[in-house]
Amino acid sequence: MNEIETIAIELTVNGRRRALKVAPHHTLLDVLRDDLELTGTKECCLVGECGACTVIVDGRTVDSCLMLAVEADGAAVTTVEGLAIDGRLSPLQAAFLDKGAAQCGFCIPGQLMSAHALLALNPHPTLAEVQEGLAGNLCRCAGYQQISEAVLATAEGADR
Amino acid sequence: MRATGVGASIQRGGGYGRVTGQQQYVADIRLQDALQVKLVTLDCARARIIAIDTDAARQVPGVRLVVSAADLPQPVARFGPQFEDRPILAVGETKYHGEPVAAVAAETKDAAEEAARLVRIEYEELPAVFSLEAALDPAAPLVQDPALRPGDPLAGTNVLREHRVGWEEIEAARADLVVEHTYEFPMVTHFAIEPHAFMAAPDGDGIAVWSSIQHPNWLQKVLAKILGLPLSKIRVHAPDPGGGFGGKQHAKLEPLVALMALRAGQPVRLVLTLEETFQAVRRTAARVRVRTGFHRDGTFAFQDVAADYLLGAYADIADRVVSKGSYPACGPYRVPAARILARSVLSHTTPSTAFRGFGNPQVNWAVESNIDEGARALGIDPLELRLQNLARRGEAFIPFDTPADGQWEQTARRAARLIGWGTPLPPGRGRGIALGIKSGPTTGLSYSTVRLLADGSVIVYAGTSDMGQGARTIFAQIAAEELGAPLDWITVVMGDTAVVPYDQQTSASRSTVLMGNAVLRACREIQSQLRAMAARLHGMDASLIAVDRGVVRLPDRELSTLDVLKPGLGRLGGELIGNGEMRKDEEPGHPLGGSAAFFEFNCTAVEVEVDEGTGDVLLVRHVTVSDVGKAINPLQVRAQDEGAAIQGLGHTLMEHYIFDEAGRIRNLGAIDYRIPTSMDLPLELVSDAVENADGPGPYGAKGMSEGALLCVAPAVAAAVRDATGLVIRDLPLSPERVWRALRERDAAAAAVTGAVQPASVPVAAATGGAPSGR
Amino acid sequence: MHTFAYERPATLPEVVALLGRHGTDARLLAGGTDLIIRLRDGTLHPGVVIDLKRVAELCPAIREEDGRLAIGATTVMTDIAADPRVRRDFMALAEAAAVVGSVQIRNRATLGGNICNASPAADTAPPLLVYGAEVVAAGPGGSRRIPIADFFVRSGQTTLEPGELVTAIELPLPRRRMGAVHVRRSRRRGHDLASVTLCCGVDEAGWTRLAYGSVGPRPVLAVDESGMLADPDAPEAARAEILERLFTDASPSPRSMRASPAYRLAMLRTLGARALRTAIQRLAEE
Repeated sequence: MNEIETIAIELTVNGRRRALKVAPHHTLLDVLRDDLELTGTKECCLVGECGACTVIVDGRTVDSCLMLAVEADGAAVTTVEGLAIDGRLSPLQAAFLDKGAAQCGFCIPGQLMSAHALLALNPHPTLAEVQEGLAGNLCRCAGYQQISEAVLATAEGADR
Repeated sequence: MRATGVGASIQRGGGYGRVTGQQQYVADIRLQDALQVKLVTLDCARARIIAIDTDAARQVPGVRLVVSAADLPQPVARFGPQFEDRPILAVGETKYHGEPVAAVAAETKDAAEEAARLVRIEYEELPAVFSLEAALDPAAPLVQDPALRPGDPLAGTNVLREHRVGWEEIEAARADLVVEHTYEFPMVTHFAIEPHAFMAAPDGDGIAVWSSIQHPNWLQKVLAKILGLPLSKIRVHAPDPGGGFGGKQHAKLEPLVALMALRAGQPVRLVLTLEETFQAVRRTAARVRVRTGFHRDGTFAFQDVAADYLLGAYADIADRVVSKGSYPACGPYRVPAARILARSVLSHTTPSTAFRGFGNPQVNWAVESNIDEGARALGIDPLELRLQNLARRGEAFIPFDTPADGQWEQTARRAARLIGWGTPLPPGRGRGIALGIKSGPTTGLSYSTVRLLADGSVIVYAGTSDMGQGARTIFAQIAAEELGAPLDWITVVMGDTAVVPYDQQTSASRSTVLMGNAVLRACREIQSQLRAMAARLHGMDASLIAVDRGVVRLPDRELSTLDVLKPGLGRLGGELIGNGEMRKDEEPGHPLGGSAAFFEFNCTAVEVEVDEGTGDVLLVRHVTVSDVGKAINPLQVRAQDEGAAIQGLGHTLMEHYIFDEAGRIRNLGAIDYRIPTSMDLPLELVSDAVENADGPGPYGAKGMSEGALLCVAPAVAAAVRDATGLVIRDLPLSPERVWRALRERDAAAAAVTGAVQPASVPVAAATGGAPSGR
Repeated sequence: MHTFAYERPATLPEVVALLGRHGTDARLLAGGTDLIIRLRDGTLHPGVVIDLKRVAELCPAIREEDGRLAIGATTVMTDIAADPRVRRDFMALAEAAAVVGSVQIRNRATLGGNICNASPAADTAPPLLVYGAEVVAAGPGGSRRIPIADFFVRSGQTTLEPGELVTAIELPLPRRRMGAVHVRRSRRRGHDLASVTLCCGVDEAGWTRLAYGSVGPRPVLAVDESGMLADPDAPEAARAEILERLFTDASPSPRSMRASPAYRLAMLRTLGARALRTAIQRLAEE
């Protein structure tokens, strides 16, 4: 194999500017996990079905396994590591704990990112909207009800 | 009950890491200079390996190691929890689609993948068997080399073992009605969201291995034997698995990565793709023939069950799945005569292994469905018939096993009430109900060490794997309850065989009962040390002192733990250390080697709506009630119960492997192997628990993580039948399968009435949820 | 995944030049939700991947002009599904866009990509056929319009010439009121590939336009101009016969594991009849 040509990119990850060189065929998921060592974003199906690798790019969720890292040049990326501020859990994270939404936990970073983006767009979702909004995040422990409850409780809590 | 201890829905231990991304699963751990491993497989199921050319692969820059069986210590070691039949890499022949033939270790994933593609394997595809029919054909090619089974009369067949249990003579039993049918249960896979991951690194004169395994101590033994090292030189790190469900119980690729690390002299890392996990683990499929004898009044005369389970190419723990899953085939009922024959049949498919329910869902699907048919034929309400036959507490319903250990009737009645059993239904709707039992562990050994530190905080050591079931939380709650420490002062250490005492395994919903009791005993040992300490400090006999939940009671006053601990430990400090052991020994006379530590008992009742235009089965309401003995953490109990129910909906409604003629899994991967999403839930899902504190675990708890999966398929199928009149004996109840059955029903009805079937759907009549013809 | 050269042109002429230079060795990257899967599984290994997302002329947009709604090729499904003009005049397209994969997929998958893959199961194809969309293609010879009905050949194959790419999809603004709906079948209620995807539109002149996919090598459009189908008071037998005629071009593959031909054909009829009723209802509610 010949030396792979890399491309310089700059992006903001969880508010921090990062400049790095990436191989063109490496995905955003590869770069987050392997180059930036942000391993909160998980790898599972690699075909955009399970949502374990969900991150927010410029305000919208994407399956980071289906986005080349070079495509993120100039983008603002938020990963699960960016949700808590100074070690303080976001209301959504706290609600996930309260409602017992995390079991094995492997899907949870992706679920949180989808839920976070959903609430940003739709602060008062119905249960059906939560289920639709998070359908791209598989949970094999099947804590779907607890996850929905956490999202709805966060929405409710934001009113108070 | 106080808000922090037993009975409280406290937050999950390890929860913070899970919601912040800090939780480190195996694939998240970085080892300095780790080589990346990629497996090399063939694009067919069974093949004779003629030659392996690794030259081109070795030329790839960054490649450090390419191994095939020939490069391993000879003869190539075989391993397996029941039969040592699985080679570290395929020797001479592959036996299933995806069996590793070679492996590459390189400095980067890219290089490893590139090199794996360049390993040239010359092979000849061989005849293979992928189904029960094919495997049981007398002319079938043998999956297992008969040389591995010396003296075994079945060695010349693909039947690995036959398991027979029973009581009384069923031929003699007189029945008014005999119902006999055959039911199929498909191959499904665990689909843990964390794909299996393995790492190994030389560690001084031993080796360290990281694995997403459920049974680190068992793995330690396997590796010690293969590597010829003492247990003390094998350190297994077992971070919390990202979902296990049985698929991560036993060693898979750890022996390979261990040998590669030793060969390379540096760490190696292998993370499977999801597709590779489909090729590594699955549930054992089954075909179950059930012949049930009923008396006219609805009582059972006999059960005659013959279950053929389709295993994969290597036995793994699947033969135990067969024996343990089938022996309670008669369910929780009083059955005067029974004959159960279960066979483990090998095939050239993915090795099947433990999977939530452990062989019971397969037979329960068949037997409960057959009971339903009998009830209908007799004109007896299916719930009433079940209640009539249900074993009462203490009844030896399986003569050689643990007597009924719960007030099961209570559970069944609660589920019936919650579903509104017997109340009117709108057209197109139907209800179904099913009961199920699964025996808990038959043997077990768990040790725990608990340290009460000088400031009153606590460290609990427990070798259980917390794969989402929440064992970490439960153990902390037990320690909090027993030692009076606040929960956030308790640390539970797991997953490191160099640090944590031995635990046999994390399976069979055992951990709350077995490890929980070990933790409880360790805490109680600390209590007695505290008592002795208080006696010494206060110059009285220890028998006058009681320790209860962090309070030391002297005859005249009460002290806190710290009031005793601080002066008791003195200036040098120190700590109190308690050890607990929980052992469930083998029982040589028992057909399973031991009786059930407890039974998981569940009743599931559902209401469905069937769309006769499409075959869609919509779960309008799904009720699951489990007898849990005592919910130490009700929130976690509910999550486990619902999770099992929804996982059960997967194999009931949508999941199954599809093979091509070469034995390749066609729906390999997440695009075409469908599991339930958040949009596939019942419109209403209700989980409830019966708590009579009558289990063998701490505070009367029982294991409970599998029960809600046992009854889903028979309950849903019964409800579909109630709604449509259709009897379907094959899973999953996919829209297409239900639609086909509807068409056959209508064709049969038309044949009777002489009506002509319309060639197309009438424009006006194609409505959703059309009323059934019932 | 094999590596490749990555190109990120800024203008359309640059894209056309790159396509000219690399020919079949180049693949266009829009949303990537299909391309990256196929790069990873090895079914594609282009030498060059040309990222269209920074091309000025292709920036995602939905514009109304000259009696048409022009949807830029790189517009993602999320934006199409939410766009008020699409929802006002082309509701069935909004409905189709809203069921392409999960939220994460819809945030990346583009309309151009969806039609250029030419998957028979592409959900946006049936509404585009019903609404009589035109595909705007750019190539070395300049720009041209291709009626969507002439665009699909078979899975992965369109009538685009070598060196051409799709820059926009244009929908003529309706001159007659139309009620339309998109419906589909899949193996579960959560996101899934369609085993039948179908759109039915009924307009005030009584025309019925029925388009369906995933039941043959390419999406099909069938039209009833008799007015019978759209007339709920017409004789049932006659309507059924006409509807049946509209399905004659369906020829599902027996090789698919997602659904058998028999089931697809039956569902085509079930969905077709249901969609027709909904379309008539929507027209009445217009």
